[in-house]
Amino acid sequence: MTQGFLLGVIATTSLIAGVFFLKFWRDTRDSLFLAFAIAFIIEGLNRSAVLFASQSNEGSPWTYLVRLFAFLLILAAIVKKNYSAGG
Amino acid sequence: MTEPEPIQKSVEQFILDEIDTVPHLEALLMLCNTAGREWTVDEMAKSLYISPDAAQRILQSLTQRRLIEMISGTTERYRYRCQSEEQDALLRAVDATYRRELVRVSTMIHSKASPAVREFARAFRFTREKDKE
Amino acid sequence: MGPSVYVLGILVTLSCGILLMRGYARGRKRLLLWSSLCFFGLALSNLLVFIDLVMLPDVDLYLWRLITGAIAMMFLMYGLIWEGE
Repeated sequence: MTQGFLLGVIATTSLIAGVFFLKFWRDTRDSLFLAFAIAFIIEGLNRSAVLFASQSNEGSPWTYLVRLFAFLLILAAIVKKNYSAGG
Repeated sequence: MTEPEPIQKSVEQFILDEIDTVPHLEALLMLCNTAGREWTVDEMAKSLYISPDAAQRILQSLTQRRLIEMISGTTERYRYRCQSEEQDALLRAVDATYRRELVRVSTMIHSKASPAVREFARAFRFTREKDKE
Repeated sequence: MGPSVYVLGILVTLSCGILLMRGYARGRKRLLLWSSLCFFGLALSNLLVFIDLVMLPDVDLYLWRLITGAIAMMFLMYGLIWEGE
């Protein structure tokens, strides 16, 4: 029960963070914020997906892949910010 | 009347990255155009028609960005910090753009996100490392 | 393969935390402070996942992973709502 509650907290706050970052992206047009937005929204949805899974201990490889994608997205945005021609 | 010229990308990026308000821009350009001259807070406040407190905050903020430098002494003085040829050329372009397109530049500055959000984005820039003292 | 994702996760979140803390030291904008703490917390959470899966397979750290993750997100919530304007 506690685990479910905490998962809910993490899922909801991740989605909220994602929405904030979407707003920042709209305001600044900086793709870094888009990357963070997608990463947090994915994480929020990812955590929520546990509702449909039989085991809750993050054993599913799907979870890894989604998280990997989120991390790589952030890394790519940071790299782009620093090394792209536009500055 | 001809089509308005598009604003140079590097000028736009500089303004988006470094400039918080219109007085910030005017203070920076004032210092840049009088490079070498040292200004006190009061002198700057008078030139920009703002209060000394506001001028102080602006000058401190520009110093933190390492666009200008402070010379300490009996009274604080500020002057333009000449980092590189490219920076000088960029600021000349910014100055020219601002003179030409005052309304557009002001609109650009006012429509941006809050300073905290811009600082967040700026935190992920490594290029600052190059001019670290 | 699984655990290495979390090593990457630790590196990414730790890097974000460090960059944001550095940014906070420069500009003193509180949003960066709270975001930085969030990312450090997420790094810790990822570390616990790694320890849980790889180093201490007999011990279940799931609850601790969730607690650190939730607290980390709380920092971010506070920072975004209060300071993000």
